[in-house]
Amino acid sequence: MRPLDWAVMLLTLTAIISYGLWRARGAATTDTYLRAGKTMPWYAMALSIMATQASAITFISTTGQGYVDGMRFVQFYFGLPLAMIVVCLTAVPIFHRANVYTAYEYLEKRFDAKTRTLVSIIFLIQRGLAVGLALAAPAIVLTVLLGWPDQITTLVMGVIVITYTVLGGVKAITWTDFQQMLIMMAGLGTALIMAINLLPEGIGLTGALTVAGAAGKLNPVTTDFSWTDRYNIWSGLFGGMFLALSYFGCDQSQVQRYLTGSSITQSRLSLLFNAVAKIPMQFLILLTGTVVFAFFTFIQPPLLFHPGDMAKLKADPAYPALQQKFDKAFRQRHESAAKMVHGEPTREEFKSAQRDIDDTRKQAAKITGGNDTNYIFLHFVTNYLPPGIVGLVIAAILGAAMSVISGEVNSLATVSVIDIYKRLLRPVAEDGHYLWVSRAFTAFWGVYAVVTAQFAKNLGSLVEAVNLLGSFFYGGILGVFALAIYFPKVGANGAFIGVLAGEAAIFALHFTGAASFLWYNVAGCIVVILTGNLVSRLTARTP
Amino acid sequence: EPPPFLGSWRRIYILVILYLVTLITAFWFFGKAWSS
Repeated sequence: MRPLDWAVMLLTLTAIISYGLWRARGAATTDTYLRAGKTMPWYAMALSIMATQASAITFISTTGQGYVDGMRFVQFYFGLPLAMIVVCLTAVPIFHRANVYTAYEYLEKRFDAKTRTLVSIIFLIQRGLAVGLALAAPAIVLTVLLGWPDQITTLVMGVIVITYTVLGGVKAITWTDFQQMLIMMAGLGTALIMAINLLPEGIGLTGALTVAGAAGKLNPVTTDFSWTDRYNIWSGLFGGMFLALSYFGCDQSQVQRYLTGSSITQSRLSLLFNAVAKIPMQFLILLTGTVVFAFFTFIQPPLLFHPGDMAKLKADPAYPALQQKFDKAFRQRHESAAKMVHGEPTREEFKSAQRDIDDTRKQAAKITGGNDTNYIFLHFVTNYLPPGIVGLVIAAILGAAMSVISGEVNSLATVSVIDIYKRLLRPVAEDGHYLWVSRAFTAFWGVYAVVTAQFAKNLGSLVEAVNLLGSFFYGGILGVFALAIYFPKVGANGAFIGVLAGEAAIFALHFTGAASFLWYNVAGCIVVILTGNLVSRLTARTP
Repeated sequence: EPPPFLGSWRRIYILVILYLVTLITAFWFFGKAWSS
């Protein structure tokens, strides 16, 4: 980070947040604070939905995935447009007409208070687990690559988020997200163009694609089916659709984005924008990763991209031989790639050298016990991009993290106030009281995120486990909303027992290892629907 | 509520599905073209 980078980064972030707060000025009521008084246009909600989904780790890990594993990860999003259509048909008109603040409020109108409370508590646990991680993950990466103390990074990001979420409510969040998404697109687009420009003379995008294709990286559609493989067209279309359905239809951190819409039409358009734009955006992020791969075919990369792991490797007696093997394979790959780009038949030599490089990196990773996927893109950015552009990319990454955290903190506070405090503890009070409580809960969840982020960095590989645990709850919640919308005969007891049975099925599936996690939601949802219907029939028969 | 364009939501949803099919087909050909 050079002075120009700092200037670009600080100016960008200051401008974004000031604009968000300016848009949210004026007298607040609970309705304007939590739902923007239902005044939002589709384009603001559309980018806010996108920014809430795109975390900092999405940004740096997806590019790394393009480098390591190629483009097949894009299939994860194939089910998203189908899910958006279902959400437009069902959740949007239902929530708008029921005039709710949270998705779970609707469950009481349809079932009863205990089902609403159960699902609200599941949401608070699920999002509560994730919010600290979303703050800690980018801080850990920036610590390693830029030497920023991670406690300071998480604290600064946390304080900024708390400031604009507490002061401006959902309106400030939406307009801040809107700007942050534009900066993310600018940062990514610039990084992709710069990566293509930095390729050696005579290579260009065509040469980069030739190299990446020969290495098997250009595989955006894979048709082989396996229950345990999460990235193929089938798990993407079906598993991805169920995951997107539960995320966009039943997760308050997303539902709250489109509940701010001025009409059903505006909310639908915001979701359909994502249905159209999300896959191409992920494609471009992955393409950036594969272009960076081509770049490092001609410019020698480090054996491992994580500087800490690299230092650990250098202390190992096996290191000199590994580095020698890596250097030799790199030279072979470089020579064969240069010839291949100019039409010579050196594809097999290239593939053989690529296999040697992959083997060497695997052996090195075995010694260090680390994974450097999240460090590849930022290694490229911080070492090869010009001053100013680095600041823009870092601002985009910090913005990505903040847009996720602000959405989560805001939705956690809304559920705490509407579904727990107002429903169970203090049902009657002045609007000003609930507004004050909403601000207090927003501050509480913001501080909670900063504090748990401090613990998250000590979790190491447990971070993945905590993330996975959060995804276990989606199937049950999706199932109960499916019962509410499609099964009018199922009553409150069926729904309540159904959720518990669905969650039990998901945990059983995980501990038996029968299928990849994308299928957990599908299985959990089906168990909820079957159990709900069964319980309702049995209880209907008893006199 | 009628949509602001195309006249009906059903048409918009069908268009989104056709778009998805086109996108997946284009990706498939893209992969074939550069990987062979």
